[in-house]
Amino acid sequence: MKNKLMRFSGIFTIIICFLLISSINIFGQEVQVSEWNIPFLNSITGPIASIGEYMSWSAYRAADEINAAGGVRGKPIKIEVIDTGVSKDKAMEEMAKLVDSALVVMGPVPEACIMAAVPIAVKAGLFSLVSSTSYEYAVEYFPWTLSWYPITEEKLPPITAAWAKLHPDMKTVVQFVENWAAWPPMAEAHAVGLESAGVKMLSQVDVPTDAIMFGPLVLKALAQKPDGIVLTCNSEKAAKIIIELVNKGWKDMAKILVFSSADDTALYTTGGDSIEGISIYNYIDLNLDDPRWQAFREAYKKDHDGIEPASLSTNYYDSVYMISEAIENTGITGDPAKLAEERVKIRDYCRNVKGFKGVQLTWDMTDGVPAGKGTFLFEIENGEKVFRAMAK
Amino acid sequence: MSEVLYYFLGFSAIYILMGWALYLPYRVGQLNYLIVACMAITAYFGGFAAREWNWPFPVILIIGIMISTIIGLIFSQAIGKAPCFTVVIVGLTSVFIVKTVIENWKLLGGTVGFFHIPNVNGMLIIIYGLLILVGFLIYRIDHSRWGRAASVVFVDKDVAVSLGVDIKKIGMFFQIVSCAIAGMAGTLDAFLVRSLSPEFFTFGMIGYLMCILFVGGYTTMWGVIFSAFFLQGIPLMFPSSIASWRQVIYGALLVLIILLRPEGIITRKMLWRMKPKAYFPVNTQIKNSKS
Repeated sequence: MKNKLMRFSGIFTIIICFLLISSINIFGQEVQVSEWNIPFLNSITGPIASIGEYMSWSAYRAADEINAAGGVRGKPIKIEVIDTGVSKDKAMEEMAKLVDSALVVMGPVPEACIMAAVPIAVKAGLFSLVSSTSYEYAVEYFPWTLSWYPITEEKLPPITAAWAKLHPDMKTVVQFVENWAAWPPMAEAHAVGLESAGVKMLSQVDVPTDAIMFGPLVLKALAQKPDGIVLTCNSEKAAKIIIELVNKGWKDMAKILVFSSADDTALYTTGGDSIEGISIYNYIDLNLDDPRWQAFREAYKKDHDGIEPASLSTNYYDSVYMISEAIENTGITGDPAKLAEERVKIRDYCRNVKGFKGVQLTWDMTDGVPAGKGTFLFEIENGEKVFRAMAK
Repeated sequence: MSEVLYYFLGFSAIYILMGWALYLPYRVGQLNYLIVACMAITAYFGGFAAREWNWPFPVILIIGIMISTIIGLIFSQAIGKAPCFTVVIVGLTSVFIVKTVIENWKLLGGTVGFFHIPNVNGMLIIIYGLLILVGFLIYRIDHSRWGRAASVVFVDKDVAVSLGVDIKKIGMFFQIVSCAIAGMAGTLDAFLVRSLSPEFFTFGMIGYLMCILFVGGYTTMWGVIFSAFFLQGIPLMFPSSIASWRQVIYGALLVLIILLRPEGIITRKMLWRMKPKAYFPVNTQIKNSKS
């Protein structure tokens, strides 16, 4: 009887000890989720579906790589792409679905959806990585967003100045500007850089958003006898304007500069041989000698009929890595009871991460604004981008 | 109330208001897209007045309605009895002009947009209160002498003239009321979304409103209510992968309805059949006299 009692009390003690240890794990830093669900409010249908597609592609690729390497804190990452179709109502309703449960959100895309949906996230204390937009939009929702790009007025003038320095005989420039989202402020920044290099800006040519015919616009520009042209309009329009310029006798192709947002598939498919020799700037160096980048580039080309990665293609790839790093380094558990606290941890980590290793370069964030990100200038030679200059 | 339901109900109500704004002039056979321009103007006015001048919401709402009423009055002088095609062209042009002005006006944020419109408490209650009020007004118009005259104008203008209907006057009346409703919807939209972008007021919105009007039914005000809730609910009812196809669903639905049920899902005949017999004293009288 005494032995039985002793045995029973021994088992009881073991059970109590086990429960105590378990409770320490439960209330400690143990991960409480079976997978890290990261919602991505993207536009994979509608007018910017092609951009949305490669943004989703890059986010999935990052998640696949992370999961293949063992996941984050032992759990896999799951990217949940939610289509907003460039509809403000849909973006708001989808964001409203997420505010009670999501740890962090990627997107929305594009700007109209950001303006509509991010205020809902801000109100709920949910951090959104709006990595495809410019500083002008992101800053409006600080500290609940971060800017993927440096301040426009600081980032763009050096690259247009570098382009002007490559062509010292270029004294006058006409800029074609499409009035859309943050493009007019970008056009102003282009002009600042060119003027700092001693180039005179001639009268700007406005490109209507719904323009179909570009002949009259090109004639208006050529009537001013410019030495150079800057195209701040979408890729399709940029390609058509270049074709018109060539048809009207424009010879010095390197003195046509296409801005980063036009570095998209339509520029190459519509432009064809006509874009041979033009200058273009963007935020990725295609020929970067880095195995990780080259693997990304090859995979992208394989899945996109041989087309090179577009300017925005790396943004959400790096965003997924940044979030996973934040989860890893701040001990996020995914415990719903700690949701508000852990959202703040992710926010603070991402907004001030130092030495973040992106697929293209390593950079620091200070209060949500990046430093040390470069802008690259290329010329198109035989259909390939050839590096010409870099500006920081 | 969950945030999803809040925005679903909010947007549905605003689209009902805009659907009614399109429905009213269509009673006399005019598609008045000027309502989208009015919506944009009052939305920007409301946002600016609230953020920059700290005007109270009721004052902004009233002035917004007044502004769009005046716009409606001015335009209706010219297109009050114009054919549908002319009204469409004027409406589309006005949307284009207003959008271009906003895009080039830095004070309103230009192409970048307008942020941080102050929050108004109880917005959903305000929206639904106004919706009921407008609904009652439209019901009264539909069942008035104006409504009956509009039905005749829709079928045959010559017959309407021969019956003594002033086509210009009735066209002007419906256009002005529709602009006033759109002005109200614009102000409410600005305070619901709390940000504004020229991209919010595109031709895509016209397409969506057309879908609301023609799928729901253009012969009665109830069709708009049904289709606004139904179309707005499609993306929420289905999983994201299916909801991505909503533009295709809207388009296919519109084509199917036009082919199979040209007057829309809810028609006047349908409502007539649904009404209890007791509501028709004339029929009862006839029946009684026969017996």
